[in-house]
Amino acid sequence: MIVSDIQQKKMLSPAEMQLIHEGTCKLLSQVGVKVTHEGIAEMLINRGAQRKGERILIPQNMVENALAETAKTISFDAPNPSYGFTVNAAENQVKFGTGGQALYVVHRTSDGWERRPAETDDLKKILALCDQLKHVDFITRPVECVVPEEQMDVEKAKIFRDYCTKPMNFANLIKRDRLEEMLEIIGSPAYASFIVCLISSPLVMDSSAGDKLISILEKNLPVAISSCTQGGSTAPFSEVGELLQLNAELLFGYVLANVIRPGAQVLYRGIPITSNLYADGSPRWCQPESIRRVALAAQLCRYYNLPCCGTAGVSDEAEPSAQGISEKVLSWTYEAASGAHYINSALGMLEQVMSVSYYQYVIDDIALGIVKEKFKEYPSDEISNIAINAAVEALNYFGVSVDEKVKGELASRIRHIETPLEPYNEGYIDEQLAIIEKAVTRSKSSTVFMTTARKGLREGYLYRGNRIDAPLDLSRVTERLESIGTP
Amino acid sequence: MSKDDLLKKLENAIVMGHLDADDEGFDGTMEGTPGTLELVDKALEEGIEPQKILDIFAKSMEKVGELFESEEYFLPDMLASAECVGEAMDIIEPKLQAGSNSDKGKFIIATVEGDLHDIGKNIVATMIKGAGYQVMDLGIDVPAEEILKAIREFKPDFVGLSALLTTTMIEMEQVVKQIREEGFSDIKVFIGGAPTSKEFAEKIGADHYCRDVMDAMHKLEEVKAAS
Repeated sequence: MIVSDIQQKKMLSPAEMQLIHEGTCKLLSQVGVKVTHEGIAEMLINRGAQRKGERILIPQNMVENALAETAKTISFDAPNPSYGFTVNAAENQVKFGTGGQALYVVHRTSDGWERRPAETDDLKKILALCDQLKHVDFITRPVECVVPEEQMDVEKAKIFRDYCTKPMNFANLIKRDRLEEMLEIIGSPAYASFIVCLISSPLVMDSSAGDKLISILEKNLPVAISSCTQGGSTAPFSEVGELLQLNAELLFGYVLANVIRPGAQVLYRGIPITSNLYADGSPRWCQPESIRRVALAAQLCRYYNLPCCGTAGVSDEAEPSAQGISEKVLSWTYEAASGAHYINSALGMLEQVMSVSYYQYVIDDIALGIVKEKFKEYPSDEISNIAINAAVEALNYFGVSVDEKVKGELASRIRHIETPLEPYNEGYIDEQLAIIEKAVTRSKSSTVFMTTARKGLREGYLYRGNRIDAPLDLSRVTERLESIGTP
Repeated sequence: MSKDDLLKKLENAIVMGHLDADDEGFDGTMEGTPGTLELVDKALEEGIEPQKILDIFAKSMEKVGELFESEEYFLPDMLASAECVGEAMDIIEPKLQAGSNSDKGKFIIATVEGDLHDIGKNIVATMIKGAGYQVMDLGIDVPAEEILKAIREFKPDFVGLSALLTTTMIEMEQVVKQIREEGFSDIKVFIGGAPTSKEFAEKIGADHYCRDVMDAMHKLEEVKAAS
């Protein structure tokens, strides 16, 4: 899918992004990242970083050198060569794939939907299904194999070899010493890519993830460096504050990656979502404020001219629903329009990242096809029109009659996505940096982020709207699953 | 200011989640005014009995609980109030006479080994401390032997275990097993975290599965009432 220049959504101005960059560099050079991995700390210090207690401070020139040095194009080959593609940081080509490390499978019974633990057999069936779905461009491991940890990587590689002919993203590497074997099993290292969550927010490097990053980059494999902050619990509740922290965590990853291997093939995977502070603090993946923040991260990535691994379509709904379809359509549309190249977790996911569903994969394949069609059909249209038209058509496809009330709710969600609620200026950025510094220097950072969220909560940072409730007609989904041979 | 007025101010500061003069409070307007910690210090200076101050803590948190139930308050508001009480308890405790009923029981809480997630654990720890329990927070990525060592020394009535990863659920099972094997059969074990469930709690021999912080608080109060 190609996003036209007019369709690109720029919710931040270049000046605002430069302010975020300057604030990020201030955070990295003054607060830094806690690194307890002595080998990695030494590697960074030898290249110009400084030590302040357990924290490693990264000077601005180190960040900017890493951004300049890192690979700008990354190729993803596949066992079926026609599925291979290249991500070029300067282009507006978008690819969509699966994702997640779901624990459950939501399946349909005569009484409705039921959730059961995911099994190894589900990994095989989901890969086989997604290998046939038109709009799945690459496959990220959706569920883990139920085998002892020592065998997980190898077992996963065997299943990918047997059931996947598209580019393979294994997500997390479990055991570093099994990597060589994995690559041999799948037939070519060029098929493989990974995701590493290097930082435990706020600003603490995970030593084990650091070791895995070294192993992956030693093989020169593509890797998405990922940070999933939750505004209000692991990061500031403010969009500005969350972006600053997220960007610092990711740019630290770029610095380390380029110390390990200059010119490393790294994707920027920023997922700044929010916590549900109205209730239990659980993550809100697909609500308007999160869609906006994730889109802003993609835009920031493109500001740096980096290959961008987006995340979109992780519904907060527990089972297939009209609400879920609406969330996903808006999320895909804004993430693609904001510059993401390689959109992960786009299909099949429910209940944040906890569940997947065979039905949802097919629903998403159809709905994503509609979104792509709208981008193609209206190359000069406003993204809000594309989003609302795609959502209406997708809902109609599944038998939902879209009345004015539903349209109004969709429009309200879109307004929240597009409307800035906070200032982007130096004073405000300094306020947010002070909150982050306070949080990282205390044992309970989440308490700092939550208690400083009270004002923003009352100013409406978290969207509060109405659910789009309507029964779905899934007869065509059932037919399609049957035709593919998936139960 | 009279002693009654001072206690009323303290109650208001707690309800507004106003920790100290540096804190902006509930509505972002309270920075620069005395918060809970300053008011507790002042109350002690004025000679108000610690037990009276404790009564204000309980009264304030009761009010906060009602505001949360009626959805006037949200999670951060409740947490801010609990933090006020938790930190103020550190000031009050040394002043209490032996035999004063300052706490409802002892609670050890930890995220199990291999798991670095602490949000849920921190919220629960803060709330429980705010509710008057003595809390020992062992932090994240805590090995079973460290939890057992803390149990032997601290002698808790309750242990709370948190895990967010499927891989660390296995570790949770090991911890519960070791707690029981060491003969701590009276300790009530609470578990929580996204991948856990009531069924999992039953399977590993934990006493209670907690869906979220309020569920944890309710279950803890129920257990306390039953004992």
